[in-house]
Amino acid sequence: MRPENYQAINHPPSHEYELNFGPNHPGIEGNYALKVKLQGDQVVEAHADGGYLHRGFEKLMEGRLWIQNIALVPRICVPDPVPMEMAYSLAVEELGGLEVPIRAQWIRVMQLELSRIAAHLFTFGGHAATTGMYTTMYWGVADRDLFLDLFEELTGGRVYHIYNIPGGVRRDIPDGYLDRVTSTLDYLESRLPDYDNLFFTNQVFVKRATGTGTMTQQQALEWGVTGPNLRATGLKLDVRRDDPYLVYDEIDFDIATEEAGDAWARTLVRRKELQQSIRIVRQVIERLPSIGGPIRCPIPNPLAWNVPAGEAYARIDSSKGEVAYYVVSTGGDKPYRVHVRGPSSMHAVQVLENLVTGGRLEDVAQIMFSLDACPPEVDR
Amino acid sequence: MIKDIPIIAEQAQQPRRTNPLAHVFDELMNFARSRSLFMLHYCTGCGAIELPPAMTSRFDMERLGIQPMVTPRQADILLVTGYVSIKTLKRIILTYEQMGSPKHVIGICSCTVNGGMYWQSYATAKKLDEYLPVDLYIAGCMPRPEAVISGLQKLIDNIKHGKSDNWKDYYQRYDHYLGNQQHLFGNNWQTPTDVIGEAREYGLFGPQTLGQHTELLESVQKPLQPLEMKL
Amino acid sequence: MSQELTRMLDTLTKDIAGAKVTLKRARRMRIDVDADALPALLELLQGRGSYVHLSAISCVDWIDDNQFELVYHVWSYESNSLVSAHTRIPRDPGVYLSIYDLYKPAAFFERDIHEMFGLYFEGSPSMEKFILTEWEGPPPMRKDFDAEAWVRDTFTERDYNPEWLKELTDAGGGIAIRPQDIRK
Repeated sequence: MRPENYQAINHPPSHEYELNFGPNHPGIEGNYALKVKLQGDQVVEAHADGGYLHRGFEKLMEGRLWIQNIALVPRICVPDPVPMEMAYSLAVEELGGLEVPIRAQWIRVMQLELSRIAAHLFTFGGHAATTGMYTTMYWGVADRDLFLDLFEELTGGRVYHIYNIPGGVRRDIPDGYLDRVTSTLDYLESRLPDYDNLFFTNQVFVKRATGTGTMTQQQALEWGVTGPNLRATGLKLDVRRDDPYLVYDEIDFDIATEEAGDAWARTLVRRKELQQSIRIVRQVIERLPSIGGPIRCPIPNPLAWNVPAGEAYARIDSSKGEVAYYVVSTGGDKPYRVHVRGPSSMHAVQVLENLVTGGRLEDVAQIMFSLDACPPEVDR
Repeated sequence: MIKDIPIIAEQAQQPRRTNPLAHVFDELMNFARSRSLFMLHYCTGCGAIELPPAMTSRFDMERLGIQPMVTPRQADILLVTGYVSIKTLKRIILTYEQMGSPKHVIGICSCTVNGGMYWQSYATAKKLDEYLPVDLYIAGCMPRPEAVISGLQKLIDNIKHGKSDNWKDYYQRYDHYLGNQQHLFGNNWQTPTDVIGEAREYGLFGPQTLGQHTELLESVQKPLQPLEMKL
Repeated sequence: MSQELTRMLDTLTKDIAGAKVTLKRARRMRIDVDADALPALLELLQGRGSYVHLSAISCVDWIDDNQFELVYHVWSYESNSLVSAHTRIPRDPGVYLSIYDLYKPAAFFERDIHEMFGLYFEGSPSMEKFILTEWEGPPPMRKDFDAEAWVRDTFTERDYNPEWLKELTDAGGGIAIRPQDIRK
């Protein structure tokens, strides 16, 4: 075509359309929805829509005894339930003035870290699936099952353990349990190079995740980001170190950080945390046989237990971020008010909306999984 | 709440079948159907956390011929995994009505049976079979992957022997289900699917398909508008 | 260290009328403050006290006093301590100021409190419903909303009366406590 014959085509003005991303969508984590406004495949606006998993936990807990609530709280975060019972127990212990025996504290640390490993393996699987690598999902979920077996032996439950009660833990560890934990950890460690080859250094993942959903340190602090997502922006902040609970101040571990603040960095932080958790559990295995004593302190009849009046705020670092429980008692046999602060209430709403905007549609699922958002925590 | 409707409905009038080989063909179809089931990929509650283990390497649902499917149009099984909040229940009903027949609903976890531990919660619906015809319940909080798989095997057996046709009940007693839905969601509740028309089409129009609740639906129903295409 | 912190907070809050600092335990401080002075206190805590992380905003319904208690939990990454600022506002009309311009996470918590307690925050970016979009009843977390009665009105229970259950129900139910079992 000669230049003088060229006539510019008048394109129609760019148009926007809305898409319901979820709740029934394979790319969404759990039962959650995002309403995204798109221009082509670029997201111009996103609104989170929660409440699909709302059960009214805080209201339910006001109607149940202190000890009955132990069975209720793990349901608030399904993939990582242990920090929920732990935070609630810590708050009630503070209110009731209970001293948790040292042995119970070490068992609790072990349980928390095993739960973290299981939750991270699950997240890797989900995240890999959003980039089309289903093998990692199959591996991650299958390896997580080995940890669920450990939980089952210790607590009787695969997913929900209901193992921590205010004052300690319900049962002592079975004979030979620590050996089985060691062998499972050995197995996981031997698998890590395979995971690296399959997923973490895989070019499909590296190229898709680098630069996706980037947030700066400033933004992360402003939006209330916590946990691995905050550490992925280069900040060495961890509730386990800054606000130590249980026996974390006696344990030697590094805080895993990355600088980039994108989806890749967040996943890498979790990958490093996996190793740190293995390290922590190994220390517990080393110390636990030498610590004797009871596994829980005496508490009053749990069915007629009036916790002294007061209020307590317990914080814990779960695999997703800062979990906090605000518990108010008026001296009755039931809590007057329990407020649950799940880390995902920040990550899955405000942060997700901000990170998704300006990105592309195919990255929405990846960003959500890289933030490790957990919808039941938002909805409660 | 409607209580006086009997649980077992009368069989609707079916056209007489003249082909002597009809039942052989039916059995073949049922066998084929039972061996290739697609399960809708919709995590409605916390029981969904035991589905990945059931699907992946360790318990491996695929050996039974069950695979997740991302769209309701091509799915055969709707797994309702755990408690259904009222907001989710609306979506579940929309999803269910979009699925092509024959379709099967499995209620996993105790919460679908009777509300489970959320019996006093203002946000969850209690009995799933009031709103949808449930084929099978798998109780437990939450059921282990083995339990899920054994439940699915039971469903496969039922399909093979032609016993799992509760989906017909939804057409035959639509008025009952719609009444319960209206009781919970308010009188303005409507779905885009024309269930009554489908019931006629499938030959499943029964004496209880229409009733006072469908009359109420007709009086409030807004006709569906075709979606506008704007360029 | 904690005493130093308390002293620091005391000097910080000396201009704020009615602010009372109490040390609850290591790394946990409580400040009681009047409703008018709370935004100023939070501004001071954030700007001069390095309390940059809003951990949560909790609302407690004190129905006997006809008041809502708002608790702002702020965490400092520098001094590693948590300050809980307590304030009380009348239950009626239930309007308060948003702190969104100080702390961005407040948007979620304020929205949550609005739909659960019906407390309105002026200046919050969105007061639309988020979780309870399809709920038409009163704000459910208020103490005067009886969830159990609502459930009894709305749903029916499945009849299930096996033999073994009768013994338990005759004895007063599963968790009934006999007088001799009560430990002091």
